[in-house]
Amino acid sequence: MDAERTPGSWKRKILVAVVVLVVVGVAGGVFTWYKFFREEPQPEWITKDPDMRFKYGSIGAERESGIPYWIFYVLPRMFPDKLPKPGGLAALGVSWEQGQELPIGFTQKVVGFPRVANNCASCHAASYRTSLTENPVFVGAGPGHTLYLEGIFRFLVDCAKDPRFNADNIMREIKLVTNLSWIDRQIYRFLLIPITKKRLLERETQFAWVYRKDLPDWGRGRDDAMNLTKYFLLKLPMDNSTGPTDMLPIWNLKKYDREGTTMNWAGDSHDSYSVIIDSALGVIGAAPKNKTEFLDEVKWLQQYLREKAPPKFPFPINDQLAETGKGIFDANCAGCHASDKTGKRMPLAAVGTDPERIWTWTKDNAVAANKAVRGFGIERKGLVEESLVGYNAPFLDGLWLRAPYLHNGSVPTVRDLLTPPDQRPKLFWRGYNLYDPVNLGFVSQGEEAKYVGTRYDTTQRATGNQGHAFGTELSPADKDALIEYLKTL
Amino acid sequence: MTANDADTPPAAGPSWLERVARKRWARWLVVLLVLPTLALIALALYLAHVFMEDEPVVYAKIEEHFKYGSTGGERESGFPYWIFQALPQVCALHLPGPGYASLGFTYEEGKDLPVGMSRRRYQGIDRTFLNCAVCHASTVRDSPEAKPRVYLGMPANTFNVWRFQKFLFDCAKDPRSSAEYVVPAIDRLMREKGERLGLVDRYLVYPVAIAIVRERLLMLRGRFEPLLPYPEWGPGRVDTFNAAKILFNFPLDQLPEHEKNGPSDFPSIWLQQPRKGKQLHWDGNNTVVEERNKSAAFGTGTTPPTIDLAAIGRVENWLLTLEPPKYPYPIDAAKAARGAPVYQRYCASCHGANGRDFSGEYVGKVTPIDVIGTDRRRLDTYTYDLAVNQSTLYAGYPWRFQHFRKTFGYANMPLDGLWLRGPYLHNGSVPSVRDLLEPASRRPPLFYRGNDVYDPASLGFVSNVPAVGERVFFKFDTAVPGNANVGHEGKAYGTELPPEDKDALVEYLKTF
Repeated sequence: MDAERTPGSWKRKILVAVVVLVVVGVAGGVFTWYKFFREEPQPEWITKDPDMRFKYGSIGAERESGIPYWIFYVLPRMFPDKLPKPGGLAALGVSWEQGQELPIGFTQKVVGFPRVANNCASCHAASYRTSLTENPVFVGAGPGHTLYLEGIFRFLVDCAKDPRFNADNIMREIKLVTNLSWIDRQIYRFLLIPITKKRLLERETQFAWVYRKDLPDWGRGRDDAMNLTKYFLLKLPMDNSTGPTDMLPIWNLKKYDREGTTMNWAGDSHDSYSVIIDSALGVIGAAPKNKTEFLDEVKWLQQYLREKAPPKFPFPINDQLAETGKGIFDANCAGCHASDKTGKRMPLAAVGTDPERIWTWTKDNAVAANKAVRGFGIERKGLVEESLVGYNAPFLDGLWLRAPYLHNGSVPTVRDLLTPPDQRPKLFWRGYNLYDPVNLGFVSQGEEAKYVGTRYDTTQRATGNQGHAFGTELSPADKDALIEYLKTL
Repeated sequence: MTANDADTPPAAGPSWLERVARKRWARWLVVLLVLPTLALIALALYLAHVFMEDEPVVYAKIEEHFKYGSTGGERESGFPYWIFQALPQVCALHLPGPGYASLGFTYEEGKDLPVGMSRRRYQGIDRTFLNCAVCHASTVRDSPEAKPRVYLGMPANTFNVWRFQKFLFDCAKDPRSSAEYVVPAIDRLMREKGERLGLVDRYLVYPVAIAIVRERLLMLRGRFEPLLPYPEWGPGRVDTFNAAKILFNFPLDQLPEHEKNGPSDFPSIWLQQPRKGKQLHWDGNNTVVEERNKSAAFGTGTTPPTIDLAAIGRVENWLLTLEPPKYPYPIDAAKAARGAPVYQRYCASCHGANGRDFSGEYVGKVTPIDVIGTDRRRLDTYTYDLAVNQSTLYAGYPWRFQHFRKTFGYANMPLDGLWLRGPYLHNGSVPSVRDLLEPASRRPPLFYRGNDVYDPASLGFVSNVPAVGERVFFKFDTAVPGNANVGHEGKAYGTELPPEDKDALVEYLKTF
C-alpha cells in the first residue's frame, strides 16, 4: 500500500526538495551577487599612480550614485538637445584629457556591472592653455574653473524626464556601441534603465533650486556648496538663499595645519580631514557602505593633497620686477594673505565683498550637519558651529591659477582686482581656459570666450564684484611689479 | 499496487499512458497537439537560421577583396541589395546621369556593383554597402577616348560622395522611393537577371525593408542637414571630421561657423608600414595606423560590435607593404637627375629622402598653420572636444581609441605615388605638381576636378576641360571658403625656383 512507503519516501522527497531549493537559492544568490554587487578593483594604471588615483580613482561613489556605464555612455548622443552646445560631455566644461575614456573626476568601476560616478577631481582639476595653438594642461587639485556643474546636474535630470529615456531607445543606442550578452541586455532593459530613470527623477525635487529662474545660474566654475549640503544631506526645504562660489584649489593642504585656520570660503569647516569627509559624502550621496574603507580613502586623499604642490607659473617671470613687487606685497597684502590672519575668518565689513554666500548657512545648519555625519558613525572635528561673519583671508599659493577672483569669482583677473570696484568688468565670460599672463587670469572677453564660457553678470544676486578695494590706489608701475611678484606664488 | 511496483513497473501490465494511448480520441489529441508544435519548432528553427545568416561574399585574391570585400558595414548600415539597385531607377531624376556611375563610381566590366561596394547575406537578405576602396581606388585614362585603368590605393578622384549622399537623401524624401514604386522596380531588375521575387519578399520583406531604409536615411539627413546648404565638395573630397561629429550626434547647426564644412582630398593609402608612428590624417591628428583605419571604417558603416575585423585585417596587412603603381609614361632620365638635388635641397626634410624612403627631420610631423599657410578650414573642423569624444570609441574593447589629438597645423606627407595624388594640398586646390611650384597668385583660380585623363606634362589630371561627352566635371572655385589655394609657397617651398629647375623637379617626382 502507498501508506507503507510514505515515511521514508516523504523524507527523501523533502530532502531532495530542500537540496534543490538550497542549490537554486545559492545559485540565485551567487548570480545576484555577481551581476549586481561584486566589486572589481580598478586597473593598476589608476590605483598604482597617485596622480591618476586622484584623477580617476574611485572614492566609493559608484555603489550609491553610480550610473550604469552604457546608459551614461549613450546619454550625450541621445540628448544633445539638453547640452549647452555640441561636444557631448565636453560641452559641460569637464577637464578631459586626450586619450582618456572619461573626463578627470569621472570614475569607472565594476560593482556588479560597470558604473560611472565621480570623485573629488571632478570639481578640483583645472585646465589652462598658454596659447591658442597649444592643447590644455591639466592640474590635479586645481580649481575646476571650466566645469559647468549645474549643467551636469540638470543634464542628467533632464534626460531622465524626457519620454525618449526608455528601454527601447537606450538599448538601440547601446547596440550600436557594444555587444552585451543576452542576460546583460535583459538586466539593462528590465532593471537598470527603469531604476536609473527613477533614481535620477528623485533628484529633481532636491535640485529644484537649480531650476529657479529668479536665481542666477552658477555658470562655469562655481557651485552653491552650502545649499547642496542643506538640500541633500539635511533634506531641508528650499529657502530663498543663493551663494554660488568658485571651486577651490585643494593643493598644498598642509598650510591648514596651522592652529586656528578654518576652511572653505567662509571658514565654515575646521580642518582638511573634515572638509574631505563632507565633500566626499556629498559625492557619494549616502552613508558609506564600509566606513573603514571610506576613511582610509579620506586619509589617503588628505595625505596626497597635503603634499600636492601648487603649479608653477608657466610663462617667463621678470625676477627683478618681481623683487620690487615683493616689497609692495609685503606692504599692502601680506598683512592678510601672508600672516597669522591668513586662512582665518575675517569680518565681512573689513572686506566688503558680496555677502550672499554667508547668508546661505547658519549655526543651526552646522549643528545639524555635524549630527548627521556623526549618525553615519564618523568622527571628525567637522563644521564650525557658529554663525558666519565674513570670508576667510585666503592663502595665495598658486594664485595665478585661482582665477577668476574673490569668493564668487566676480573679478576675472588680478589686474581687474587691483582696479577700483566700480571700474571692474561688469560683464564677462567664465570657463574659457586660454591664459592671459599679462593680467593674471583667463581670457574672459571675445568670440571664443563667449562660445566656450558662460556669461557672468555682476549685477545679479550673489554675483557682486564690490569690495576688496585694497591696492587699487597703487600706481600703475607698482601694480605691474606687484603682479609680477604674484606670479611667483 | 505494492511497494514493489516502484522497482519493477513494467511487470504491472499496461501503464496509464498505454491505457490512454489506446483510446481513439487520444490519438487525435496527439496529432492536434504535437503536429502544430513540431511545425512551430520547424518555423522557429528556420527563422533562427535566417536571422543568424551572416555570409559575406569572399574573395581569395586580396585585390578583389579590397575592391569588393566586406568590412562588416552591411550588418548595421547595409542597403538590401535589390533596393540599392532599384533606387537609381525610381529616383533617376535625382541623379546627374544614368545610374550610380554618374556619381563617379568606378564600374568594372561584368560587375553589378561598383568598386568599393561589398555584398553580404545578413539576416535573410542580401545587403550591400561601401568599403575602403570606394574612396581609395580610382581610374586613369591616357586620353579622353582611352579605356580607364583601375588603380587601387589611389585617391578616388572621380567619386562624388557629396552627390551620392545627396542622392540618397533626396530619394528617401521622394515618394518614389516608397514600396509602391521600388518593389516593381526590384521585380523588373530581378526578372532581367532571371530571378523571381517571392511572395513573402514582395509583400512583406521588401515593403518593411524599404520603410526602414527610408526612415534611416531621413534620420541621417536630419543630422547632416545644417551642412547641406554649404558649397558642394566636388569629387575626390569629403568633410571627414564633421561626419565624425555626426557619429556623436553633435548638433551641427550650433557649431561655430569656422568649424562647418571643411572638405579635404581622399588620401592615397599605400605603404602604411613606414607610416607607422607618423602623424596621420591631413592635420596629423592620430599616430596609430590601426586606430586610424578603424576610424575610417566608420565611414563604411561599421560599428564596434559589427565591424568584421578579420576582413579589415586582410586589407590592413596588405596595405602595409602595397607599393604605389609606377608612373606609366616616359621619364626623361637626364632631366629627372637634374631634379634630384633640387628635391634634396627643398623638399626632402619634410617629404622624405625619396618616394620610398620616408626619413627626414620633419616627415610625418605637423607644420604649424601659420608657417605652412594653407587653407585652415579643414584644420578648424577638427576640435579638441571631438578628439576627447573619439577616446570613447570602441569603449570596452582592448583597442579603444586613445591616440586622437588636436593639432594646430598640417602634417608633412611622404610622397610615394605622387603622380596619382593630384589635385594637391590637403584640400585639393592645386590641380598639378607644376602648379604647386608656382606662387599662389599664379596657380589656377578655377579648374575642373573629376577627370581621369592624365596630363604627364604638369603631373596631375587634366583640369581645364569642363566635360567629355557625358562626363561632366566639377568646377572648383578656389574663392569658396575652404578651397583656398594659398600656402606652401615662398623660397623655401620652391616657388621661386627658375622654371627649368621646377620642370626638372617635376620630372624627378615622376619616379616616386
